[in-house]
Amino acid sequence: MFDLADLQGNILRGYTKKPHVRYLILEVADPIAARRWLAASVSGRSDGVPQITTGNWGANRPDTCFNIGLTYEGLRALGTPSASLEMFPNEFVEGMTARAWKLGDVGPSAPENWPAPFNEPKRIHLIATIYAENVEQLDEIQERALTDGRALRLLAIREGCSFPDDVVHFGYRDNITQPRFEGVHDPERYPDKQPRAPLGTVLLGHPTNLEGLKWRVPLPAALGHNGTFNAFRVLEQDVAGFEKYLDRAASDLLEHPQVEELLPHGAEEKIGKGLSRRAALREIVAANLCGRWRDGTPLALSADAPDPKADLTDFDYVGESRCPYGAHIRRCNPRGGQIVQRVANNSRRLVRRGVPYGPAYDPAKPGDRDEPKRGLLGNFIGASLGAQFEAMSCDWLNLGLQDPRITGSNDPIAGANDAGTSWFDLPLKSGGSIRLRGLPQFVRTRGGAYTFLPSLSAIRFLGSPTI
Amino acid sequence: MVDASVAKRLVQAIIDNLPEPVPGKRPVHTIGIGVKGEFVASDVARTYCIAEHFKGQPVPVSVRFSNGLGGLEQHDGWSDVRGMATRFHLPDGRGTDLIATTLGEFFVRNVEDFFEFADVAKLEKYERRAWWRKLGDLLQLKVPPRNPYPNETVSVDAGALRYANRHRFAQLGIFQVSLIGAPVSYARASYHAVHTFWVTGSDGARRPVRFSWQPVAGVRNTDPKAVPRDKYLFEELKNRLRRWPARFMLMMTIGEAGDALDDPTKPWPGTRIRVVMGTLTLIKVAEDQEADGERISFNPCRLVPGIEVSADPILEARLGAYEVSREMRGGCPFRWR
Amino acid sequence: MPGDEGLLDRVVDWLPKTLVFKRVASWTLVPLWARLTPVKPLPGGPHLSFQHGDNVQCMMNLIMPLKVKSPIGRAEAALAIAQNKDAIFAGLNNVGTVHFARFVIVGDNICMFSVYDGDFTNYIRDFIATIGSVFNAVVELVEGGDDVIPCEENVEAFIQWVHERDLYQVPDTATDFLRDQEALNGEGAVSGNDDLTLLPRKLVLQLRANANVSLGSGYRAYPGFSVAQVRKQLGLGW
Ligand code: HEM
Ligand code: HEM
Repeated sequence: MFDLADLQGNILRGYTKKPHVRYLILEVADPIAARRWLAASVSGRSDGVPQITTGNWGANRPDTCFNIGLTYEGLRALGTPSASLEMFPNEFVEGMTARAWKLGDVGPSAPENWPAPFNEPKRIHLIATIYAENVEQLDEIQERALTDGRALRLLAIREGCSFPDDVVHFGYRDNITQPRFEGVHDPERYPDKQPRAPLGTVLLGHPTNLEGLKWRVPLPAALGHNGTFNAFRVLEQDVAGFEKYLDRAASDLLEHPQVEELLPHGAEEKIGKGLSRRAALREIVAANLCGRWRDGTPLALSADAPDPKADLTDFDYVGESRCPYGAHIRRCNPRGGQIVQRVANNSRRLVRRGVPYGPAYDPAKPGDRDEPKRGLLGNFIGASLGAQFEAMSCDWLNLGLQDPRITGSNDPIAGANDAGTSWFDLPLKSGGSIRLRGLPQFVRTRGGAYTFLPSLSAIRFLGSPTI
Repeated sequence: MVDASVAKRLVQAIIDNLPEPVPGKRPVHTIGIGVKGEFVASDVARTYCIAEHFKGQPVPVSVRFSNGLGGLEQHDGWSDVRGMATRFHLPDGRGTDLIATTLGEFFVRNVEDFFEFADVAKLEKYERRAWWRKLGDLLQLKVPPRNPYPNETVSVDAGALRYANRHRFAQLGIFQVSLIGAPVSYARASYHAVHTFWVTGSDGARRPVRFSWQPVAGVRNTDPKAVPRDKYLFEELKNRLRRWPARFMLMMTIGEAGDALDDPTKPWPGTRIRVVMGTLTLIKVAEDQEADGERISFNPCRLVPGIEVSADPILEARLGAYEVSREMRGGCPFRWR
Repeated sequence: MPGDEGLLDRVVDWLPKTLVFKRVASWTLVPLWARLTPVKPLPGGPHLSFQHGDNVQCMMNLIMPLKVKSPIGRAEAALAIAQNKDAIFAGLNNVGTVHFARFVIVGDNICMFSVYDGDFTNYIRDFIATIGSVFNAVVELVEGGDDVIPCEENVEAFIQWVHERDLYQVPDTATDFLRDQEALNGEGAVSGNDDLTLLPRKLVLQLRANANVSLGSGYRAYPGFSVAQVRKQLGLGW
């Protein structure tokens, strides 16, 4: 059916053991040289241009991994025939900046405010990703990638490094849930109650989640087949603002008549060792906004306190679940729970590969003006940007259309919230809820691009002297 | 805070553009009529706004309808903005005002704009456009400017158009003024309070809102092709109220993140949530027009707990300007808040 | 006196109201100005907006010319809808974001007017998934439809095809129409030398380029609420 060695390596599984990640944002300098570069990247030679890591790592994990994504402008710059170009989907052709209003990239996140190189989206042609165990390796691979200055011009670098235990800024454990695919054996993944995603969720040319629907595969098949799309996002996180909001919400809750229901007196200790009532309430708010306690425990399985013994992914939102309808993970993936667009259950799934950038926030030195920049370098991968990443962003994260109880509110963590109008409902055991208001925007988009992640055959096709 | 000198300059700019001074009278909306009525909030009003007059008990109300033009001449039939200033008399003797006009959006964003506008849009000689120039307009698929009304010799139209061509933010307001027409009755026009206010609901939620009055009898203008009559609105209102009360619905539109909160030149789309806040019933034209039409003084910032001003600079400027104007004309001082 | 109302003056005032002038102007002045100041047709569908109220109760207005322009063609269209009543209801209930949908035959066009929540592409895509066969049955009868059916296998092209047929929605405020044209021509927020008196001509020329349009984005009695919010509030389940 398909050959893992024909896929780029970071699609079906992540390089979890490589903490250092560097993105090289590149412009094609000369199409012929750039095509030669592409050919070299799949030539199997161990010197020169780094070799693309495939989905088949073989027995030994490589020390470093190297992968590429191409924007529409990049495909054009390489000289891809227009008959092929025309077959790429609209959203990819238009590019991420043209889709700003769907993604919530408005106001402070608007592309007009993005720094270089993202302020010139048409010059971004190729994004290469290096994963490594240390910075020296990153440097070495970068140097090899850029040796031939005639091929590609480096516009900018973005670099991240994961924190221990997959913790990301805001203090949550991330990288827990990924779709599991039909026909792919992935022993590393946690079991969950969701049906396995058809391969077409993430690879062009395979059946999708929507019965009978096929995405268009750009021809020739060597180019389109087994390719996929990626939304690369630079998401700046206001950690100081986030922690401050938790303070405020906790203070408000302390005054709330129903706070006892949220946190019975004496239960603070269960939330965390030695926590004050206020500190415990902060954690409760943080957990509800995400749908997971900061240690990863899903509220769907353990709503009253984090529980290291609770399963991380084996849950669903069918029937009565204590995970808030508006929680980040429930908005992004309502699983089998009741949603308005019944036909879309389980259909808008994404492979996520992200790494934090910037130093961890130190609560002991709360943010003054000079807080360093930090956030997430996120990749949201799926076979259809329109049907998955954009559909999730506009209807589910931003509009909350999937459930009338959250319609009109934005995602509490990643959404473009405005403190004047935002709200979030904290569910209570009794069935009622407490409405939190005044959530500011915690995450601002600072750049990004839609890229096509070509298969190895496609890289060979694009690398041929005459396409 | 309000700068008294700015307030004075604002009023002076208005006075300077009058065809002749109107001592002891309002420099704009000079011609008006006071009316008595009652306001009853809807059953949902209090959930959105805890202000006294939205609690549901009937509240006596004073309204002053006016023609927008400054000056003593009354031209009811001219195309012009109309005003509807409303005072809600609250049980504890306090009052709160809502000032609205038939224009949905204002034409300047702030005080600096206002001064520039006052500079550009001065009264100018207004003449009938020569026939060949009108023909020229038609050939360019333009609509020729309207002919002057009988007795109309000056107008700000040309200056306002120049200003609008220079500033896009002003275009909507000025374009709408040019088409606004004359209502057949003060009770047959919609009036908009233009600015954003913040209301606090019974659950403590604060929301940005804009208010409009909508006539139960419906909106109706005079035939623009007919020769305009100068005086009919007062008589019409008296006769109407003698026969039957006139009613208005108070509609409140709730703004969203991203809507213009501090800019009165920007409209809010019709896709915003709209709440019925109550019904105003006008009962009779006030007997004492000196007290209830002339000396009564409104201020858009006279509010009560439950409603607050937004950061709209025009709204803020009006606080002082209306006070200055009131003092200049010896208007009735009103206990604040 | 220059302000005086002469005979010529009265003629010029009266002229634009006459049918003759309007006809002659339509034949001569309109094409002339269209040549001198060309206008691109503005794109259809709801105005792009991130805001919540603008993303519920959106309008789709499709006017699709039938291939067979005769009572037979119209009857075929009528039949295509009638035969698929069950499918349409099932789609409506399962996609869950459509307030109203109507099929109307006007002249030799089959029109589909609907009011839906959320993003347009999601709306059409979800419907392709549930009632693709109905789309196929209708679009088959329409000019240019053969290129995009079966819709299930031409999802992107089909969505694009529908979008291209969705009518331009003239903004509710006249000056926003000018802003639309400026945006289409890539003219930024610069101003300083506009000519507001050209608005009528710009409208005429746009309506020449875009013969069918929707006037405004619709008037709503309870704006800002999704289908599911209304159903939930009414106790109908969602
Ligand atoms: C900086 C911004 C963001 C942060 C801090 C963040 C954080 C998290 C965390 C902590 C989780 C739970 C870990 C897990 O289940 O693997 C999660 C899950 C998820 N997030 Fe985000 N996220 C962000 C932005 C986004 C965006 C923009 C999207 C999509 C457009 C997204 C989509 C998802 C999805 C699909 C899941 C998995 C949910 C599931 O399948 O249960 N996230 N995110
Ligand atoms: C900077 C902007 C503005 C200035 C300087 C201004 C100034 C004035 C002044 C000086 C008066 C006479 C007040 C008095 O003597 O009691 C007045 C009356 C009035 N204004 Fe304004 N105004 C401004 C904007 C507006 C706006 C935006 C509206 C729309 C709601 C409005 C509606 C009215 C109405 C309806 C009256 C008559 C009130 C009555 O009947 O007593 N004005 N204005």
